[in-house]
Amino acid sequence: MSGIIDINGYTNQTLDWKAWLDVVDPACATPEQTAVLEMSHPKAKVSDYYLFLVHQPEILRQRSEAFNAIMYAPGGLPRAERELSSTVVSRINGCVYCASVHAQRFEQLAKRNDTVAQVFSDPRSAGVNQREQAIARFSIKLTEAPNDIGPDDMRALHDAGLSRDEILDLLHAASIFAWANRLMLNLGEPVFPEQPGL
Amino acid sequence: MEKTTTAGAPAGTGDVIDAIVGLQASDPLHATRHARKKVVDATQASYDLFFRPGDVRPGDVRPGDVRPGDVRPGHVRPGRVRPGDAGLPLAERLLVALHASLLSGSDALARHYRAALAEAGADPQALAAVEAGCEADLPATRLREMLLFTRKLILRPVEGDEAALRRLKDAGMATPDIVTLAQLVAFLSYQIRLAAGLAAMKAWGSQ
Repeated sequence: MSGIIDINGYTNQTLDWKAWLDVVDPACATPEQTAVLEMSHPKAKVSDYYLFLVHQPEILRQRSEAFNAIMYAPGGLPRAERELSSTVVSRINGCVYCASVHAQRFEQLAKRNDTVAQVFSDPRSAGVNQREQAIARFSIKLTEAPNDIGPDDMRALHDAGLSRDEILDLLHAASIFAWANRLMLNLGEPVFPEQPGL
Repeated sequence: MEKTTTAGAPAGTGDVIDAIVGLQASDPLHATRHARKKVVDATQASYDLFFRPGDVRPGDVRPGDVRPGDVRPGHVRPGRVRPGDAGLPLAERLLVALHASLLSGSDALARHYRAALAEAGADPQALAAVEAGCEADLPATRLREMLLFTRKLILRPVEGDEAALRRLKDAGMATPDIVTLAQLVAFLSYQIRLAAGLAAMKAWGSQ
């Protein structure tokens, strides 16, 4: 399965994002701001999101250090499964922009997007196997009721085949999207590509 | 008497998440967590930027960083109070953190930030309002708007809109301070989940 998925207002198409307040002009950035933009994301200098957050460069630097280590570090939980968790959390929080980005990353890594369609249509039952289902359920519970997470939830992940190292990586991936979604949802809005004929 | 947090770690030292979760170096989960050193370090460094402004420690300056001597006049580290700008005082950041912890139902983090507030000193009326969840009843000040923004960002992030940012502007906040506030609340929502998940992993490991 491949191609465009548009379900319940969520999409795997590439979206843009615009900030609601003034962003930093990259031409006028301080050396520190430029350095933080460059370590944050390859396209940070043309992204409203990073150009807004770089008003506080040191805070953005540490956010990017955490984010990049959580999502890209080798070993542990397969990266496609980190992206699955990110997509589920974004779907639950209602972050259409984040969901589109991480749906694409899941598809690039997993070479399929059947799980993405499930997450968009009904995240609570999403997952093509027990392991994916356990990852989705944990991500939802951590998002909605973090203080209800307990040993039984750990056992469910363990029974689905996740090691302790993998559970930690999953916890990090789901938690960092509590952070990312809140910024994307509250500092600006997604911009959809123009539809032909409209 | 040595200052201590209710989590048991000396104030101002050590890893805050380890202290809140009660992770000891001898615990197998401690080794698991610290194997992801970059995540541990960036999580702690973020906490330090929000709650220990101006506390520059060895190791804070990394290769490629702008060093203190290179910084132009008037340009200071984020988190510090800027000349001519009230910034976000530590007590207000801690009130935001206590508010976020209480709204999220995180007893462990509420204890941590309540203890820090007792040291930093907060406006009693504001503290009482946060403890009761009645920040809307506070006088119309910037702090009231910050606490209302915190409530929305913690409980109903999908309802974020441009008008909410305009209200912060109208209350006298400069854009860099709005960035600090949004990053602070977003960080807290991460920290609350990380601490809850690690506590569950610890409880599971000891069964």
